[in-house]
Amino acid sequence: MIVEYVWLVPLIPILCFVLVGFFGNHMHQGGGYLSIAGAAASFIISIAVSVEFWTSAAYTDPGYVTNSITWFSLGGHDVNLGYYVDSLACLVMLFASFISMLIFIYSLGYMGDQGGRKRRYFAEVSLFLTGMLGLAASSNMIEMFVFWELMGLCSYLLIGFWSFNHPEGDAKAINAASAAKKAFLVTRAGDVCLMGGMFVLFQAMGSLDYTVIFNTANLNAANPDTLFLASLLIFGGAIGKSAQFPLMDWLPDAMAGPTTVSALIHAATMVKAGVYLVARCFPLFVMNIDVMLFVGVIGGVTAFFAATMAMNNMNIKKVLAYSTLSQLGYMFLSLGAGGYLMALGMQSGDTALMAAGALGYTAGILHMANHAFFKGLLFLCSGSVIHSCGTEDMRLMGGLGKKMKITSITMLIGSLSIAGFPFFAGFWSKDLVLETALDAAGNGACGWIFLLLWFLGVVTAFMTAFYMFRLWYMTFAGEPRENAQKSHGESPHSMTIPLCVLSCFAFAFGFVLLFGFDGLFTIGLNADGLWQVGGVAGAGAVHYFLELFTNPYTYLTIILVLGAIFLAYLMYCKKTVDPGKFNKHGQAWLYKACASRWWLPEIYNQVSWKLGYGVAKCVDFFDRQVIDGTVNGLSNAVIGGGELARKAQDGNAHTYAGVVIGGAVALFAVALILFVVYGGI
Amino acid sequence: MDASIVTGIFGAYTPIAPMIIMIIGALIMPALYFGFKKKAPVTAVQMIIILISLALNMILLGTGYEATYANLFTYDAFSGLLILLFQIVVGIVAFVSYSSIETTTLHFGAYSSLLLIAAAGMMFVGAADDLISIFVGVETVSISSYALVAMKRNDPRAAEAAVKYVIIGGLSTALTIYGISMLYGVTGTVELSELGVALAASGYSWAFIIALITMMAGYGFKVAMVPFHMWAPDVYEGASTPVSIMLATGSKKMGLAVFFKIFLVMLVTANVVGGLGIVEVQYLFAIVAALSMTIGNVVAISQTNIKRMLAYSSIAQAGYILIAMAVMSQYALSAGLFHMFTHVFMKGGAFLVVGALICAGLGEKITDYNGLAKRAPLVAFAMLLFLFSLAGVPPLAGFTSKFFLFSSAIYSEDGVMTQWIWLAFVAILNSAISLYYYVRIIKAMYIEKPAAGADSKLKIPKTFAIAIAVCVVFVIVLGLYPGIIMDYCAQGAAALFGLI
Repeated sequence: MIVEYVWLVPLIPILCFVLVGFFGNHMHQGGGYLSIAGAAASFIISIAVSVEFWTSAAYTDPGYVTNSITWFSLGGHDVNLGYYVDSLACLVMLFASFISMLIFIYSLGYMGDQGGRKRRYFAEVSLFLTGMLGLAASSNMIEMFVFWELMGLCSYLLIGFWSFNHPEGDAKAINAASAAKKAFLVTRAGDVCLMGGMFVLFQAMGSLDYTVIFNTANLNAANPDTLFLASLLIFGGAIGKSAQFPLMDWLPDAMAGPTTVSALIHAATMVKAGVYLVARCFPLFVMNIDVMLFVGVIGGVTAFFAATMAMNNMNIKKVLAYSTLSQLGYMFLSLGAGGYLMALGMQSGDTALMAAGALGYTAGILHMANHAFFKGLLFLCSGSVIHSCGTEDMRLMGGLGKKMKITSITMLIGSLSIAGFPFFAGFWSKDLVLETALDAAGNGACGWIFLLLWFLGVVTAFMTAFYMFRLWYMTFAGEPRENAQKSHGESPHSMTIPLCVLSCFAFAFGFVLLFGFDGLFTIGLNADGLWQVGGVAGAGAVHYFLELFTNPYTYLTIILVLGAIFLAYLMYCKKTVDPGKFNKHGQAWLYKACASRWWLPEIYNQVSWKLGYGVAKCVDFFDRQVIDGTVNGLSNAVIGGGELARKAQDGNAHTYAGVVIGGAVALFAVALILFVVYGGI
Repeated sequence: MDASIVTGIFGAYTPIAPMIIMIIGALIMPALYFGFKKKAPVTAVQMIIILISLALNMILLGTGYEATYANLFTYDAFSGLLILLFQIVVGIVAFVSYSSIETTTLHFGAYSSLLLIAAAGMMFVGAADDLISIFVGVETVSISSYALVAMKRNDPRAAEAAVKYVIIGGLSTALTIYGISMLYGVTGTVELSELGVALAASGYSWAFIIALITMMAGYGFKVAMVPFHMWAPDVYEGASTPVSIMLATGSKKMGLAVFFKIFLVMLVTANVVGGLGIVEVQYLFAIVAALSMTIGNVVAISQTNIKRMLAYSSIAQAGYILIAMAVMSQYALSAGLFHMFTHVFMKGGAFLVVGALICAGLGEKITDYNGLAKRAPLVAFAMLLFLFSLAGVPPLAGFTSKFFLFSSAIYSEDGVMTQWIWLAFVAILNSAISLYYYVRIIKAMYIEKPAAGADSKLKIPKTFAIAIAVCVVFVIVLGLYPGIIMDYCAQGAAALFGLI
């Protein structure tokens, strides 16, 4: 059984981290080859594990393979260390290791001129990969949380990779340092929620093992209010990690790191952890319909607002960052709407509703995988462009299509995919997401909220297509502007080959639906009434064709997408429509709102400044005067006492003998008092 | 594997088989050194002897062997665990004695022999069944360690330390034997298992209190608990570092084992069988524990010699383990036993680093450690781990064992808060104080610049490097996965409580 060796998957990258971290300077490319080999080994083992799991009997019943050993015991409760392999874990391990491997290969070229810093880079990205793979393979929440925090640490280190000695000067270095701090602190707010959620869940269930906490009988037996609180707090963790509203502000700033790190954070690791957490905790969240509604609302709102922010940004990486937020919003919308339908179906016993809910889950997971491919591709393409012209400002690019053929074509594929152009990967999952939202709109008391969210989703689809093609046209079409003229052409093979591989997946990964692989990542109650991811046959090509192409709303989104692409063409390629007319040359209220991220950073700053600084000053006063005063007084007393006692130790044997006898007599006196007090004598 | 492999050879002597091997080794050591005139072969044979003894013990411990020899010595999970502890200590000490420049060359045969005799004495105490065999075992260790302390090359401090050690040791022995005779007078028995029942029958008396205090004083000398600790810093400083390790990690644990075997069993039995209130004795031990940790830690702050600092820190660590004597529960005992094990690796490891650096030509002053991270990065890192572990920084072994120990003082097994929570509080405060002087060394190693002209790389002997590496591994592994030893400690504690 190879499945039993799944712990090797996270272990190999962490070994690479240790080896590269200590000996990277003595290796080729600062240990880059070793990191790539490690990611490749993890990928190969992931394939072996997944294939064996999916063909084994355990796949259909009970739907997972798990094993664990006791890590330590706390007051009669065992905390375990183990693995839990199911379809979801397999999928995450597969795409995380595969895309990371490609990003590492790409890094050989992109970070090629970084000299001695490559050791640090390759060590840290390997550790980052460990975080994601370990998260996927963990068998309980505490173990998962360890890896979750490991990713938080790595994101801090990597976003701040250039926080000293930035190639472009000190201002950028300070920017990188503050972006890293922001990412760490904002996600930490979510992490605290998640930790609280784990405690509450532990209180409710008495364990944090997946097999226990996601067991239907245990869930039904637990106090629903406690579960509600636990679900909300755990989702708070996902909001932080996946940068959803209102903790979304760190992700655009995180662009201060190297572009490859952005690709890693956005495609393979970090932000996907939040989606994974919600998908993993789906059986828990579905216990309460309001939780799922909340998930959906957060997702839909984030999808819409993040898309508006991308509309007028001039920084190629920031546009992609906003689009990640927006796409993650889609995933949460899908999981929320699916969960809402599932919860309704469970209450009324309606299997059709439950099937519709399962479709939402499938769509969310598929969108996560699709997004991993096309967003990884888009970031790497943007990295290739930045590498070539040395700027991130799209106003200084243009006309690069001729100089960088491979990059422009692969980026086009990525853009079509994320825009949801028919038959590209993004099309399938995005339309299923919208369909689920619309489905949810027709059911239950809160259906009208989902109608609103569906509407936001459709508008987001339009905006996505628009800003992606705005980006593509501004970068690759038209006349070469300043930096584009100085560009030194296509990037090296180590960078273009990963682009080609990723573009194949960005185009074709959606077809897994048509070949019936969707059965692998749907969720449902199995014959024993237990939750199970996968384990059923796929619905097949005919089903999905009928599902999508008999639905008039599918055509609506297709028309919107085509319209948006055409509009972007007119504005930024043919220039027959002047964007200035719409935004009053940058003076329109809406334009300013989008450009300044709907003033979210200002709101944060105001709140944290006024509230945080006030509290901090009070605490500071208390700390300096009361605590420090006490501590200093105590420590002076302790050190003084130590000096005194040291002097008593004069080195004379007769003093020592005296102390022994004196001590015995004193002890005798104490004993006497004690015996008298307690009535022993 | 079952115990028949051992019982087949040793027959009725099986319970003392590991000690027999040690004694045989002790007898051939001087002859070997006389023949070879070199340290290496003697140490090689010595290590083989220790490994055979260790292997025998592991077989017996692993198979859950239990038997009694001549109503004097019993082998069970508890004594097996203590024997294992002493074997580990003597293994480390013997291994590094070979290459330490501090150990005697002239008398190396006698030195090796005494080391094994001391080990056998400690192991006999671990298995002892009555007061007399405990007394004899302790004296075996005392007398051989007096000589071991004196056996140091070219250092007058050693002779002074040995004299002090003999004088205070003799006084303590006198107190002990007086206490034993009083206890015999009160209870009419020397059998450990019968003391409790007899005490329950007779109740407390003046004579018992005198016996209790004098025996606490006598064995407290071995433990180096306050106020019977004064000798420890002088002796640890004066003795060669391997012998300091033996005293700090071996003979100290023997004293604690004696406390467990005599007082813990006696009082808990009296409490369970005769309903005798034992809270007054518990308080007595709690006060001694609190005093030991506080005085040990506070005085350690103002030390400038690293061996003296570690000696005071050992006094404090003994105070932590004495929590088990105050709480007197099975869980506290297993936590205390576990801390005895982790202490071997972290305190032993710290002393090993000191010894290794003495061999590399570095002094014992804390200022000599300035800039060590540049001169010997791996050793400095190991020292950092040991010191952090001693201070109780997670995820190292010292954290885990302190966690078990302190939590045993807070909650009893059935989840009720105990009255010893103040003791846990004192212990935690003390851990914070101890961090101060541990971090001072780390600061010296990592932040201070080396003194002018002393910035060359340091080369330490191989045996020290290996022993330090072993300690590092255990300090990390026992922190992350305490189960490998803690399970045995729980069994040992259960075995001791099984007597009740």
